Amino acid sequence: MTTVFRAVKFALQNFIRNLWLSLITVSMMMFTLLTINMVVMLNLVADNAISYVENKVEVSVYFKEGVSEERVATAASYLRSLAQVQDVRTVTPEQALERFKERHKRDEKILASLDEVGKNPFGPTLVVKAKDPSGFPFILESLDHPQFKNDIREKDFDNFEALIGQIRNTVSQVRLFGIGLSVIFLFLALLVVVNTVRMGIFIHREEIGVMRLVGASSTFIRAPFLIEAVLYTVLAVALTAAITLPIISVLDPKLAVLFEGTPGGLIGVFQKEGWKLLLGEAVILSLVSMAATAFAMRRYLKI
Amino acid sequence: MGRACLWQVDFMILLKNISKIYPPNIAAVRDVHLHIRPGEFVSIVGQSGTGKSTLAKMLYAEERPTKGKIEVGGWDITHIKNSDVPLLRRQIGVVFQDFKLLPRKTVFENVSFALEVSGATNKRIKEVVPQVLKIVNLHEKGHRYPGQLSGGEQQRVSVARALVHRPKILVADEPTGNLDTFNTQEIMELLKKINEFGTTVVLVTHNREVVNALRKRVITLSDGEIVSDVEEGRYKL
Ligand SMILES: Nc1ncnc2c1ncn2[C@@H]1O[C@H](COP(=O)(O)OP(=O)(O)OP(=O)(O)O)[C@@H](O)[C@H]1O
Ligand SMILES: [Mg+2]
Repeated sequence: MTTVFRAVKFALQNFIRNLWLSLITVSMMMFTLLTINMVVMLNLVADNAISYVENKVEVSVYFKEGVSEERVATAASYLRSLAQVQDVRTVTPEQALERFKERHKRDEKILASLDEVGKNPFGPTLVVKAKDPSGFPFILESLDHPQFKNDIREKDFDNFEALIGQIRNTVSQVRLFGIGLSVIFLFLALLVVVNTVRMGIFIHREEIGVMRLVGASSTFIRAPFLIEAVLYTVLAVALTAAITLPIISVLDPKLAVLFEGTPGGLIGVFQKEGWKLLLGEAVILSLVSMAATAFAMRRYLKI
Repeated sequence: MGRACLWQVDFMILLKNISKIYPPNIAAVRDVHLHIRPGEFVSIVGQSGTGKSTLAKMLYAEERPTKGKIEVGGWDITHIKNSDVPLLRRQIGVVFQDFKLLPRKTVFENVSFALEVSGATNKRIKEVVPQVLKIVNLHEKGHRYPGQLSGGEQQRVSVARALVHRPKILVADEPTGNLDTFNTQEIMELLKKINEFGTTVVLVTHNREVVNALRKRVITLSDGEIVSDVEEGRYKL
């Protein structure tokens, strides 16, 4: 126990006597972790953004004026029976008009032509949500069935497929960049660790010489360097958390709409899952930097 | 692993046909036979480069012999594993010409460092360090830094450090090489005192007066070989 305590004490002394390099090491590790966290957050936000958009996708089926409610109901129950359909809502002509105006509010031509008509041109309307956007073409086609075709005036389908594709594309590029950046940072961090250990060995060559002379075990001589590696990691993780949290709280209100279905929003996700991420990072980075330290000691510490 | 109790053996140090050849082909020590009994005070003399330090280094396993066999306290250390070297070093105190003190530690800390890094309890450190500082007569200067001490005092600190493990053997490689006559005598008195307590002392030296005043066993090396081994010997070259 005393031995462990002393090894920790020596590690802290190493850290302080080599403060400048220690801080550089911690910062490099922190940059690595920050980049990784950015990638993780980007993934999270992108996933939510995509499912947000996907949830918004609906097919509106506008029936002709005067089509009986019975026929509309038949169509609705037919649609509900399809595997691709998640939900069918019935909308009255008045609501349908509102919806249409809302959807095309930026399209003056359409609105103008609507005014020209003068009265509500809509009949009853069905709003269909698909389980998956890829189901839409099938749903649309199925409505071309002669049984319904003549009752239907128009089918209106906001195609977000292109938008989703764009999001996916951008995200995967940014993600690739982020992963590349993390790998580079990690590599640099490990180089810095090796160099810091080398400097530490150099600075402490007298002590190490005396230690060997008076019968310190090589484990005891090595342990402080390994403990130092863990110390760097823990500090880096703590700093990363300290930087990530405010960023998240700034982003949270801006991204609130994407996290509607998640209790606590982005902050909630972080509170629930963040410690796992940080703990995982701490464990893995500790191990990797201890390996780098062991490598440096093999090379530069002759005992 | 054959570590007998150090005080139960006939020979504290036993070298059989020891040779040390440094790469590429420097024969520093050649076919040395040497027996040293517990409690002896042995001086090893000889001209520069005759292998005195190499011989000493093989005793505390800083170097391994190329040929032959070494036993220390009945423990065959010829092929001692690196992981066992610390155990050996806790049984052999070593002192050098250049003291090897840590300048940023006080006298007390320099001495306690040796115990700290070999896992002694704090209780034991508090007990042993004042004792050994008393032996070397530095108990009142424990708070000073090496830079604030004379050469002789610094060497006494390094002797104190060598004593913290209560070693059965003290190896001193030219301990007075950097000291004036007065400080040399002080250190020699100290080594004699330690020897009288029962520690086997192996002294490597160049100093004619020191050896002649000692009137103890003298081993003379020349070109890596023992050319004379005399009880109550004198320095002759
Ligand atoms: N690590 C080494 N590698 C190669 N040769 C060495 C090494 N150490 C010592 N030697 C050589 O071995 C020989 C004996 O050296 P050693 O240091 O034992 O002599 P010494 O008797 O202690 O000399 P001095 O009185 O000057 O200290 C010398 O020729 C030296 O150059
Ligand atoms: Mg020498």
